[in-house]
Amino acid sequence: MRLEKCWFCSSTIYPGHGIQFVRNDAKIFRFCRSKCHKNFKMKRNPRKVKWTKAYRRLHGKDMTQDATFEFERKRNRPERYDRNLTENTLKAIKTIDKVRFRREETHHKNRMKGKIAKERKEARKELDQQIHMLVAPGAKDKHLSPAKVTVKVQHESTDENRMEE
Amino acid sequence: MRKVKFTQTNFHEKLSTIIEEFPRLDDIHPFYGDLLHVLYNKDHYKLALGQINTARNLISKIAKDYVKLLKYGDSLYRCKALKVAALGRMCTVTKRIGPSLAYLDQIRQHMARLPSIDPNTRTILICGYPNVGKSSFINKITRADVDVQPYAFTTKSLFVGHTDYKYLRYQVIDTPGILDRPFEDRNIIEMCSITALAHLRAAVLFFLDISGSCGYTIAQQSALFHSIKSLFMNKPLIIVCNKTDLQSLEGISEDDKNLVEEMKSEAMKTLIGQGGEPREGAEVLLTMSTLTEQGVIAVKNAACERLLDQRVEIKMKSKKINDCLNRFHVAVPKPRDQKERPPCIPQAVLEAKAKEAEKEKKRLEKDIEEENGGAGVYSASLKKHYLLAHDEWKEDNMPEILDGHNVYDFVDPDILQRLEELEKEEGLLQDQEDDEVEMDVEDLTPQQQKELAEIRKKKSLLIREHRIKKSTAESRPIVPRKFDKDKRFTSERMGRQLSSLGLDPSKAIERVRSKSRGRKRDRSTDHDMDVDNDGSNKKMRARSLSRSRSRPPTNELVPGEGFKDSAQKIKAFKLGKKSVQKRNKDAKKGVDDDHDLRRGWPVMTEVWMNVGGIKKIRVYDFESYFLFGRFHVCFILVSCYTFLNLWIFSDNYEMIFGFISQSSGVLSFSCLLFFLVKFELHKYESHFKLQARLQPNMKWALQNRRKT
Repeated sequence: MRLEKCWFCSSTIYPGHGIQFVRNDAKIFRFCRSKCHKNFKMKRNPRKVKWTKAYRRLHGKDMTQDATFEFERKRNRPERYDRNLTENTLKAIKTIDKVRFRREETHHKNRMKGKIAKERKEARKELDQQIHMLVAPGAKDKHLSPAKVTVKVQHESTDENRMEE
Repeated sequence: MRKVKFTQTNFHEKLSTIIEEFPRLDDIHPFYGDLLHVLYNKDHYKLALGQINTARNLISKIAKDYVKLLKYGDSLYRCKALKVAALGRMCTVTKRIGPSLAYLDQIRQHMARLPSIDPNTRTILICGYPNVGKSSFINKITRADVDVQPYAFTTKSLFVGHTDYKYLRYQVIDTPGILDRPFEDRNIIEMCSITALAHLRAAVLFFLDISGSCGYTIAQQSALFHSIKSLFMNKPLIIVCNKTDLQSLEGISEDDKNLVEEMKSEAMKTLIGQGGEPREGAEVLLTMSTLTEQGVIAVKNAACERLLDQRVEIKMKSKKINDCLNRFHVAVPKPRDQKERPPCIPQAVLEAKAKEAEKEKKRLEKDIEEENGGAGVYSASLKKHYLLAHDEWKEDNMPEILDGHNVYDFVDPDILQRLEELEKEEGLLQDQEDDEVEMDVEDLTPQQQKELAEIRKKKSLLIREHRIKKSTAESRPIVPRKFDKDKRFTSERMGRQLSSLGLDPSKAIERVRSKSRGRKRDRSTDHDMDVDNDGSNKKMRARSLSRSRSRPPTNELVPGEGFKDSAQKIKAFKLGKKSVQKRNKDAKKGVDDDHDLRRGWPVMTEVWMNVGGIKKIRVYDFESYFLFGRFHVCFILVSCYTFLNLWIFSDNYEMIFGFISQSSGVLSFSCLLFFLVKFELHKYESHFKLQARLQPNMKWALQNRRKT
């Protein structure tokens, strides 16, 4: 039993899920769900589809190179069973996961570093430029929250008068 | 025309393929030729193929003629009629050859299932009475699966099997049984085997049932042998006595033995005729039993050997061998001295062989399984023979998956060491992290934030509205303002919005009010009344403001378009519309297609013409009216004249003579008239001929054509 990775979105495929497609050149494509499968059939490049891991890695949204990734490697040569080694491996997996998670968080934080400053600048700019939505540029009384001005409009009764004449 | 030609080519192709695909009985090997003759009568076969050939030629002729006729079709209806006639005739021709096609199809299916017998390769033929054991023999030596049943004529046709001898492939042909009958009385099944015997150069195995369990005595069988021994010319013959498990060769009666001896001598004759070396009689007469498989191999070997010898001899005698002979050279090592050199077998091998015999059997897993309850109950522990550091680890179940990872991917002998390094690294990184957040830019005040929120709200509202409008643009009608139930286009609303922006709306509202048209009843005024107020009323009665006034009406002349006057322009438009009309390709029968011109005189047809809607007038066909009219007039004239004369000059004989002369004159005059009328037909002659050509009745049309 092996947990595979979806070719399109790189999520893990648990047993009993997804579809495998074997091409004529014997390359196997595994998909976790029909969404990925259909996207593949449409010949979409996962590197251009925003929600896939491939895109995120490529565009620097997620961590790409790290020591924690080196631990998980598909080894083709089977090792002879060793109980102690297995126990250690199991414990190691847990700690490696924790470490990796922490590192991803720091990566995310670093990425989001200058966000608040940028947002504030943009808000200020918008306020300065789009103020005409609240106050017309030619308004005489340019106070920030203009009061309601009621204007009386008189009906023109010129036509009826003419008729009577 | 194309359709007719296309159908013809199709037919031609298909029929040609049929004719070509079927083998010509003279071109194939005489064995197959005779076999086909036996199975399906040669004459029948040739007849059927001949019929197809004639049909093919007929169809080509039909197509040729009709294609020529089609060139002269004047109306679409006539062309269609001709095409239909051509196709119809081709179809009738094809229908006529239907039964022969069915017959050929049956032959084809049967031929496909005939066994593939190569007449030139090494063949062994098995023949004899029915039920003697020929099919069981062939089942034994080859992989053929022939039916073996207790009733006679189980085998109804030839079967082929293949066997090997001395690295060569031999065909073994099983034939249906032959009965002892005169040649003419034989049925198709027997004829098959006779044909095979006659044409194939093969070794013949004549089967004899010693025990008589086939239902025929040895006497009958030997009688058969003698009657067909002429077919065994130049073929290595072996007489095989089958079913020796029921009755051995020694145990038969004296007469039977004599008969057998006779057959044997006959067979020996063939033997002597071949090789020229008289050998032991044992080669010619063999015994076997297919049930106990005794002697079967011996028979096969003998047959193959004999055949091979014969073929080699023939080859040696033929001229071709001389070309190859100088290429053969068998190299034999020359003995150096008298020392004997037997094959050498190492000592170890001999010892191992000896040991194997005395070794006792090992206790297998299978035995353990059987001891513990059998296959379904006991399942062997596959981990029993694992080689591990500690034996108690053998029964461990190693987990394969943990937290979404494959454990096998992480297994590594130095995983602990690497883990330590990782932890160290991690510790360092954590110390380096700095938590300061740089805030150069200040935040907005709450007032400013409120304003920003409002701006954003308005913007989002606009965007939302635009999106709705965009999605419903195709189905949303543009409603004029008078049906505006949401009252979104009132001047008050405009005023309110403007004032919320901080502007003074009074001027805008004034302007809006002044531009409106007002009510209809206000607009319609009397001419007398508005002497002084012409301008404003005219404006109100003007055309609807929605239509733009930049385009003139279509029929008005615009300089630059190239028309002389508006009448010409109108005509041009009309012509344009007419040319776009669809052509009527229905090819239905029209007025002119009704003539029956088979007889010499045209038929008078009445055509009802619709004049002015209700009334219909009769219009006669021009020529017919003309002719008949003339005829009627002449006839009436003549008859009146004669009657008149007879009545006046009835008693006076001289006058009668005079009258006769007169009448003859009248007659001649009428004949002249008649001929005139006929000559006038010349005017229409070409027309008649043309019409005649277009008649669907081809025979009449062809006759007419020949006359000109």
